[in-house]
Amino acid sequence: MIKKKRVLVAMSGGVDSSAAAALLVDQGYDVVGATMQVWDYSECDITEGSGTCCSSIDVDDARAVADHLKIPFYVLNCEAKFKAAVIDPFLKSYLDGQTPLPCVNCNTYLKFDHLVRKMKELDCDYLATGHYAQVLKNESGEMGIYTSTDDWKDQTYFLFTLDPKIVPHLLFPVGGMTKPEVRAYCEQRGIQTAKKKDSTGICFVGNKGYDHFIESQVSKEILDTKKGLIKRLPNGEVMGPHQGIHHYTLGQSKGLGLTHHEKLFVVKVDITDNTVWVGEEKYLFSDQAQVVDSHLINSVQDQEVLGVKIRYQHKPSMAKVIKTGDTTFKLEFLEPQRAVTPGQAAVFYRGRQLLGGGWITKN
Amino acid sequence: MNSRLVYLDHNATTPLHPLVKNSLIQELDSHFGNPSSIHWAGRKAKNLIRNARQNLSELFSVSPLELIFTSGASESNNTVIQTLFLNLKNRTEYICSAIEHPSVLKTMQHIESLGALVHRIPVSREGQLDLEFYQNVLSEKTALVSVMLANNETGNLFPIKRMAEMAHEKGALFHTDAVQGLGKIDVNLKDLGVDYASFSAHKFYALKGSGLLYCKKSSPQFPFLFGGAQERSRRGGTENVLGIMTFGLMAKMKKEITEESLRLEKLRDHMQQQILKLIPNTRVTGSSKNRLPNTLSLVIDGIDGETLLMNLDIKGFAVSTGAACSSGNPEPSPVLLAMGLSRAEAQGSLRVSLGWQNTEDEINDFIKELVLSVQRLRLIDTEFQKDFEL
Repeated sequence: MIKKKRVLVAMSGGVDSSAAAALLVDQGYDVVGATMQVWDYSECDITEGSGTCCSSIDVDDARAVADHLKIPFYVLNCEAKFKAAVIDPFLKSYLDGQTPLPCVNCNTYLKFDHLVRKMKELDCDYLATGHYAQVLKNESGEMGIYTSTDDWKDQTYFLFTLDPKIVPHLLFPVGGMTKPEVRAYCEQRGIQTAKKKDSTGICFVGNKGYDHFIESQVSKEILDTKKGLIKRLPNGEVMGPHQGIHHYTLGQSKGLGLTHHEKLFVVKVDITDNTVWVGEEKYLFSDQAQVVDSHLINSVQDQEVLGVKIRYQHKPSMAKVIKTGDTTFKLEFLEPQRAVTPGQAAVFYRGRQLLGGGWITKN
Repeated sequence: MNSRLVYLDHNATTPLHPLVKNSLIQELDSHFGNPSSIHWAGRKAKNLIRNARQNLSELFSVSPLELIFTSGASESNNTVIQTLFLNLKNRTEYICSAIEHPSVLKTMQHIESLGALVHRIPVSREGQLDLEFYQNVLSEKTALVSVMLANNETGNLFPIKRMAEMAHEKGALFHTDAVQGLGKIDVNLKDLGVDYASFSAHKFYALKGSGLLYCKKSSPQFPFLFGGAQERSRRGGTENVLGIMTFGLMAKMKKEITEESLRLEKLRDHMQQQILKLIPNTRVTGSSKNRLPNTLSLVIDGIDGETLLMNLDIKGFAVSTGAACSSGNPEPSPVLLAMGLSRAEAQGSLRVSLGWQNTEDEINDFIKELVLSVQRLRLIDTEFQKDFEL
């Protein structure tokens, strides 16, 4: 008898990872489920069942799905690691006037690091998640990560830091399905989370928004040092004081507290003097970006024109990708892009293939 | 998951004894009356409780009236500590060991916050209580001493009889959480000389949700749960008739307890000897002399106990890393830390606790699987640092 291949599947209690686990069971794998407990729920203000991915009710859901599928299930406590690798950099990024992307760090340091180790430790051949992405072989037999069939749900943007060595060990069972197909499958499979809301936003932030979260985690003394003035570009006119640069993100036009006859946008945050610069939308556009701390899953030719995604819900735009150092690139967009935001990722694609990416820094 | 399931975690809880299961099925229809009712349905239920109390009193060599049914040992422990604190005003000091169950430790913490002075007896690496410390803190001010009969993790037994005598010399009361002794060793409460003792039915092949509090006739007793006149007004609330009945059935198995103790001790010693021989850098936690016959607590160097547990679980073997209550918690076992083990050692802890239904074949299969898993995990650790640069 051939030994069944064993898969560790990361289960959040949501629809996608529940479907992933069920599909693997149906495909004949020996499946082991695990949930990472990443945040202390007792301090979390998220209403249970509100469709986020970290409340304790979700752990219970994941366990119930595992029980339904008759697979073993474990809760892995990753709170300390999550705080160090995800929460702390998230807070620092906001205080540095950037707009962070915590899901990438969670993938880099928890899902595809901690869980890869668990995969080995539990004698599993593969690690599976409910990400909308696909692992495919190209003509030369090389494994790569490709965007999911469902273009709208594609989550490869969050996967650019994946270590190429682990790619052959990854399974994304829902990557070839659309979201409605995934829901229908769960329904048919009798999985109780089939109708659960999609998780939106950042799992640990909760209903009160990220400003509130930052205020609950950072001392008032530190936050007070982030106060400054709102100034108008290009004439430097002072529009008024603001309560801290962490309240602002590039391209933001709502909640500026300005009474002005024309619509103004945050176009720049200057951390040297905490000035939030506002101006007309045209100042938001730029035709280039600097990228640091890059990771490549597959090689990229210098000066190659690639599809580049500069935020999650963004259609890749063509840009010339110019190597400027070991892990740095300069991007020259063929068409100017709106709100190229420091702290977000620039992720490179050749067609549907995810090649890698890096972090957008100040121009 | 493996189709064959082997349960080796009897210090956490036990499966139902087959005889208990059969009686339970028979009584399912007849037990339903409220024991306080005068009619036939009530009388039937009342008699089931009476018989159980009778059996348990014989098992523990005490009078039936000295036994109060509770929901379990946690309630019994809370009852003794909290009611004495509320009612004994002239003595304000309490003593417990540093490695009690949380239902004693947390209750002690609670009364400490309300003004009691609590002394915690330290424990050595070998699992022995510091009796000199105990002697020094005992005084005319001591209200109550609470020390467990046997530790849930190491299985180490404590000198309860002697410690109770020492307490009584100072006029203090003595309570023992005897949960882990039940069904594993002979527990003669009269001989132990304690004032109070706590038990849970589910550690003794009976149903969950039923327990006992032994209160010596001459010792002060106060109700904790007020309500009806159940348990002679010492514990309000309609009785858990089926749970009590199953508990009482098990109490008749005095002979089996003795036989199983001997059998399990041999099995455990065989397992210990094999594991220590086949897995290098492995040690028994606590004293290997004075302990429960079914318990083996180990520290396996370089292994994360929780990861090992998951591996064994996938193969169908249920074991524990320390107490069940602390599972899912990244903190290593407080018992092992209190014994002076390092965090790293405590992280590598594994507890195997045998029960009446375990066979030699099961133990041999377990040893094989444990050896394989440890070898593989130890290899990954070195391999991984190379491969994934973690």
